[in-house]
Order: sequence, then structure tokens, then C-alpha cells
Amino acid sequence: MANPAATTTRKPGKSIDLKYQPGFSQIAWFCIVVLYAPIAVLVIFSFNENRSVTVWTQFSLDWYIKAWNNEGIQHAALVSLEVALVAMILSTIMATMAALVTTRTDSYRGLNSAIAVINQPLMVPEIVTAVATLIFFAIIKQLTGVSGIGYLIAAHTAFCIPFAYMPIRARLEDMNLSLEQAAADLYAPPFKVFRRVTLPLMMPGIAAGAMLAFIVSLDDVIITLFVAGPGETTLPLYILGQIRRGVTPEINAVSTVFVGISVILVTLIFLFGKDRKK
Amino acid sequence: MKSKIVTMIMAMGLTFTAGSVSAAGELHIYNWGNYTNPEMIEKFEKMHGVKVTIDGYDSNETMLAKVEQGGSGYDIVVPGDYMIAIMLKKDLLERVEPNKMSNFKNVDKKWVDVYWDEGRNYSIPYQWGTTNFTVDSTVYKGDVNTLALLFDPPDELKGRINMLKDMNDVINAGLRYLNYPRCNANKAQLKELNAMLIKAKANWRTMDYSVIEKLTSKDVDLSQSWNGAAKRARKDRPELVYSYPKEGFTGWMDNVAVLKGAPNLENAKLFMNFMMTPEAAALTSNFANYANGIVGSEPMMNADLTSAPEIVMPASAPAPEFVPPCSQEVTDLYAKIWTNLNK
Repeated sequence: MANPAATTTRKPGKSIDLKYQPGFSQIAWFCIVVLYAPIAVLVIFSFNENRSVTVWTQFSLDWYIKAWNNEGIQHAALVSLEVALVAMILSTIMATMAALVTTRTDSYRGLNSAIAVINQPLMVPEIVTAVATLIFFAIIKQLTGVSGIGYLIAAHTAFCIPFAYMPIRARLEDMNLSLEQAAADLYAPPFKVFRRVTLPLMMPGIAAGAMLAFIVSLDDVIITLFVAGPGETTLPLYILGQIRRGVTPEINAVSTVFVGISVILVTLIFLFGKDRKK
Repeated sequence: MKSKIVTMIMAMGLTFTAGSVSAAGELHIYNWGNYTNPEMIEKFEKMHGVKVTIDGYDSNETMLAKVEQGGSGYDIVVPGDYMIAIMLKKDLLERVEPNKMSNFKNVDKKWVDVYWDEGRNYSIPYQWGTTNFTVDSTVYKGDVNTLALLFDPPDELKGRINMLKDMNDVINAGLRYLNYPRCNANKAQLKELNAMLIKAKANWRTMDYSVIEKLTSKDVDLSQSWNGAAKRARKDRPELVYSYPKEGFTGWMDNVAVLKGAPNLENAKLFMNFMMTPEAAALTSNFANYANGIVGSEPMMNADLTSAPEIVMPASAPAPEFVPPCSQEVTDLYAKIWTNLNK
């Protein structure tokens, strides 16, 4: 985007440049406004002094202070972070292993179906996964009597795997095998090749995958709604629970912080992705 | 083989994190979001040495979906009137007999023999309210206590009306206006209702849940509304008047109940008894902004609540009607009218 060198490959002459059709920029601006204006309004009214989310009176940070001191929000934020962190670590480890065995191998029958199985949470509608998980976990809970936040973390880990898997796999497919082969030629045992060559090279992919998994876990509503047990209300669930009883700018304030975290992480993913292109 | 490893690791992850076992001295409450006073919970925790967790839901149906399979881990739920009836039919509630508890004497007699729990063997009142409409008295100066304002509005209100996007609230108001019974399967009467609603819709601006936002931003001058929302809207727009239509109106009540298989049954009973004390009921009302159905709580309630015409019904108003869930046949007919109306 900020790189002017990218546009120098334009060919002059007869061929139509698809990037410069009439009306494109208007459509683009329209889309940007539709997508971001509501978020902008939400952010603006988080600084509103009165308790309305539509009528502006005066600038104030009261709602941020209120939200910060709200025990329900504090607890929900901690649960969200705990679940997202553990799910991120577990799903990234699994996704890394899955990416290795689906790229560093000769093609075999069933490889594509293996990849499809890994990506299954992307294909199945989330509500179906949610209801299925709810019933499945209810059976386990009744049989074993074990409860706790482990169920929620397991569910989050499962649907985070494909999100972590995709950037890692893309990175691995981009990587030329010659470096690893050269290392092996120089008598490096397989683990050393992995530790010293493969892993450092795939690190940007792993970092991007981990952050994507973190965000997806942090944002999830539907599966969490069905799986979360007592005392496991995450931040999105907390916000959802408020809606029927009327939204106050306190929710705007929490949402704004939430949007901020997401933007920072997405920017980091973007930067990681950009670095390795050079 | 390789996918086996993945499943194994996932199973390991599950067992590794699922270690916590519910200890004694806990209570897990599943209530509507932003509806439980933390001060009241603190009081209960101190009184009985019980550690309480609270989680919120956004609708009766969400709550039902989650607890229906069993093993949800919750002890206390707070379903609306019709949802208590549904949950009893599905055998999801524990018969804890609050009517034999020491504080049951505080429950207002008119909330004991209710259709959803005759004699109160399963549940106690939590909060109750009404669904009516609220109107700007500077825009419309006449008598507000009639449903004609919704279905045959005077010129100054035409195009300035918001209705709740709620099938039962709209259809029941329509039936009352035409003076036909609720849970109605009479096709001729429903046809008339359908025609009346279609005609009235031409005068409605929107059908939306966000009542407070619509009214305070002056997008509309009249809105169908729950009484608590009407009271909050009046704070920003003091001209608003809450109507108690002479044709009748819907009441609703949320009730404290105990789930079958509750892991902390004894604590749940303690909580139920505690919720029938005037102190606890007043704390709840002060937080949630609705009336509570416990005698003696009023002196401890905030003055802006006890003086609010939305919360304290005038003596001249008819009694609120609690509408039981209708049969499948009626629901299907209603759904047709509703879909047609939303076209």
C-alpha cells in the first residue's frame, strides 16, 4: 500500500489497466464508509458524557473509568485473555505440526482430504459446530462429572487450528527445499536441520498464524455462547448479554478497546507478512 | 496415523486443562445480562460464605438451549413467565418448594397463584413489568390510555410511531384493540386483525427493539416499550408519558428457579430464600429498575423508582395480563400474519 515501487510495473499502451476503471474509487469509498462509519460512531460515542449512545452532549472519559472498574468486565476480560492465550499456543503448535506433515512430504492419496479435515471448522457453519460441541460436551460432563474451563479452551483450540495453519502452510510452500537439503548434505541430523534451518525460516508464518488464532479466539461469540460454563463469560458474551437491557456507552468503551487490540494485532500480522517478501 | 496424533494431543489438552472440580460453598447463577446487583450478591456471599459466579444471557431461548442438554453446571436461572411453563413441561426445574421457605411470607399474594407455577412450588418472583407504549405529551395532547394511538393514530402521530419487533407484543396489542381473545385460532378474527395491522403499519415509522435510542434521538414520538426502557427514555426526554391502555396490556415476570441436577442444590435454596427478603428484592430493583413483587421492599427502593409512573401502576389501570404460550397451531397462524406484516 505504502510502497510506490509496486505501481511501476504498469504497462503503457493498448491494454486496459484494470486498476483504473471509471467508478472504482467511488465504489471503494462507498464500501469503506459502509464498513467503518458504524465503528467510527461507536468509538465517538464511547467518549460521550451522558448515558445515551445516540445523542452527543460532551466529551468525557467517564465510561472508560466505569468500564475499567466494572468487576463483570474485568472478569470477562481475564477469561477472554486466558482462553485466547492458551488456545493460541495449543492451536499454533498443532497447526505447525500439521503444516509440516502436509508440505514436507511427497504427495500421497488422501493428502487433500487430510488438509480438508484440518480446515473443516472453516467449512462447517459455526452454529452447527456450536450445537454439536454443546451436546458432545454435555455428554462427557455427565459421564465424567468433570467440569471447568478446559472444555472452552478445547473448543477454541479446535476452531483456531485452521486459522493458524493457513499462514504457516503458505510460508512452508514458499520456502525452497534447497536450504534444508544443503544442511542435510553437510551432515546435519534431521532435528538439527529443523531447529536451525526450517523453524527460523517459518517463524514469520508461525507468528502470523498465532496472532490470527488469538484474534479469532478473542472475537468468537457463537461457539463460546454454547460451550462456556459457569464463571466463563468472555468479553464478547458479556457485551451480548447487555444488549437486551439497553446499551450504554460503557459497552462502547469496552468495544473501542477491543477494536484497538484487534487493529494492533492485524497490523502486526500485516507487518510480519510484508517483511518476508523482501 | 498422523491425524491420530493430532486427536491424541487434543485429548491430552482437554484432560490437562479440565482439572477443576466444583468445591463446596459455590453457587452458579445464570441470569439475564446486566440484571444482577453485585452489591446484593456480595451480601449473600458474606452471609453464607458462598462463592457466587454470575453469567449473563440475552434471551430466554439462549438460556434454554444451553441448559436443556444438562450438565451446564448452573444452579440458578431466571426465566420469564412463559419460559418457566416451558421448562416445567420439559422437566428441567427442581421442585424446591419455596412456598415452604421461611421468607415466603414476603411474597405478594397476587404473585403466588400464577399460571406458570401455580402455588409457587418451583419459582419465586424476581422482577416484573409491563409492555405498553410511551408518547411525547407535547406532540400529542389527548388521552394516552388507549391502543387507538397505535392502530388508528391522530394526524400528529402518523409516521412518528415505533413498534417493538416482537410478534407477540404486536399481535396481542392488536387483538386487545379489536377486543378478541388471546391465543386466538379463529380464522375470521385473525383475518380482520391482519387487515387492521396492515392498515396501521402505513402510519408506523419503524419496527425496532432500540426503543430508548429511537425516542431520545427524536426519530419517533411514540414507541411501544417495556416500562423500564420507557422510564430511562423519559430521563432524556421528560415530555414522555407512559400509557396504560384501557383495552388491557401484557405483563411479564422473571422468576428465580433452580435447575434439575444443580450441583449446589442447598446453596441454591439458600439463595432463593434470601431473594425473598425485602432487602435483597430492593437491591435488585434499584439495580435493574423494575418492580419486584416482594412486600416491604418499597421503603428501601430508590425514590425515583417508587415515584415513577412506569414502575408503580396507577390504581385506575387495568391489571396486567400474563399471556401463556399459545398452541403450535396458533403460533403458526401468528407467524403468517407477522411475516406478512414484515414484508
